[in-house]
Amino acid sequence: MRNFPLGMAVFAVILVGCLCGVLIGGFGYRGAVDEAGAAYLLRAVEDTGAANMVSAIYLNYRLYDTLFELLVFSVAVLGVRFYLVGRNEEQVGSIPESQVVRTSADLLFPPILLLGIYLVLFGHLSPGGGFSGGVIAGTGLLLCAVALGAEVVARRFHEGILERLEWGVLLAVIILAIFPVAMGRVPLTDLLPTGRLGQLGSGGSILIYNGLIGIKVFIGTWVIIHYFMRHRGEI
Amino acid sequence: MISHVFLLLLLPLLAVFAITRRRRLTAVIGMGLFSLILAAVYLLLNAPDVAITEAAIGAALVTFLYILAIRKTGRLVVAGNETPGLLYREGDKVLGVEQEILNGFARHLGLELVVHFDPEETIEGALLQGEADIGAGGIFSKADERLLQSSGYLSTVLYGLSLHQARQPPRGTTRRRPSYFMDLVEEIKAGQCPRARLDLARFLSVSRLDLSAYRVERLPGSFSYFFIVSSEREELHGQLNSYVEGLKESGGLKKIVRRYFS
Repeated sequence: MRNFPLGMAVFAVILVGCLCGVLIGGFGYRGAVDEAGAAYLLRAVEDTGAANMVSAIYLNYRLYDTLFELLVFSVAVLGVRFYLVGRNEEQVGSIPESQVVRTSADLLFPPILLLGIYLVLFGHLSPGGGFSGGVIAGTGLLLCAVALGAEVVARRFHEGILERLEWGVLLAVIILAIFPVAMGRVPLTDLLPTGRLGQLGSGGSILIYNGLIGIKVFIGTWVIIHYFMRHRGEI
Repeated sequence: MISHVFLLLLLPLLAVFAITRRRRLTAVIGMGLFSLILAAVYLLLNAPDVAITEAAIGAALVTFLYILAIRKTGRLVVAGNETPGLLYREGDKVLGVEQEILNGFARHLGLELVVHFDPEETIEGALLQGEADIGAGGIFSKADERLLQSSGYLSTVLYGLSLHQARQPPRGTTRRRPSYFMDLVEEIKAGQCPRARLDLARFLSVSRLDLSAYRVERLPGSFSYFFIVSSEREELHGQLNSYVEGLKESGGLKKIVRRYFS
């Protein structure tokens, strides 16, 4: 506790304590059984074909809100790129990592990528979705970057193409969802027929949006990591 | 229910653990653990979607980013000239009085000590270009005005060595002082060093050799060993000075010195 203001510590403890109190108090809470909640529970499967209620809400009923979350993420990636480009770009030779790190990266990367893809594809059936699956796959790429060096990974995964793909995906989402709103209609949520509940194709357009968001977040995560490494750190 | 409360009680403990650590890596790992346990709490509260995101971002991605930042900024880089007793290598280990002082100083700041061994003449440049934070290795004089010297941690005297019969160097070759002490020792051993100025630590090491071909004299004046810091790093300079002074007052420095020179 040396050099650490006691007041700050007490404040932090109180703050975290309050948070925990709220959470403990929340254990008695068993979900909103008000009208909207009940309506979602009754109708979501029929309306959207998604077994995962969370996906049903944020990619169907509330798709328009989710689009802005995606835009927020895109602006964050853009900001990282904008403020870091041209700033003390370092040509750091990659530090040779130990064999242990490289071997474990080789072993772990495929399962991590697979987990990411699984979460994206099955987001409407089980917990997961485009955001978490994309971040997990991007973190797997970060693991590779730690083992092999960021520039090697950037070359191997053709970063230039990836970055263009990222903006292409954003454009696609805007066309699919925002354009209809601009024309005075609702976002396109019925691109695919809703199949039988439990099947991979059952979520209708949720699958498409999860896939697009997954690609976007995967590339965005990697871009953020790579720019930080290249301009503010070393690997 | 008991596991809920247990996990929730762990959260404030881990939070306090993380913010009170001096070593940044430990603090970051504490935060990663915090996120992991928070993810478990979310899972128990029937929110698996949030739990997955919390685990992926809080426990993995953010921890990674912090570690990257620490690798860049969490180090105290020392450019040192190898000097027997003060700063030297034995296998993979770096040892010596200066190593112990600087290691203590780095821990005091919550940083990791990294020592690069450089030839004497490149140390000042490395400091000025910001490639290293502190210059070390038996330094008892400095030339450049853009460098600050720390308060001396050990007093020393200088010895002059000169050959009884100075040979003329072969024509066309300009003699220059060897960059590394080991090269100088080789020269002295071979009786090829016309003159050299050695401080006490280096002289003690050389005095084991056969110096019958040399005239040895103690040079007038008193000196002390110090560290050098770029003048742009005034804060670091102040911290280093107060650390060295504190070590002197507490008697810890004497103990360290006795361990290497007794």
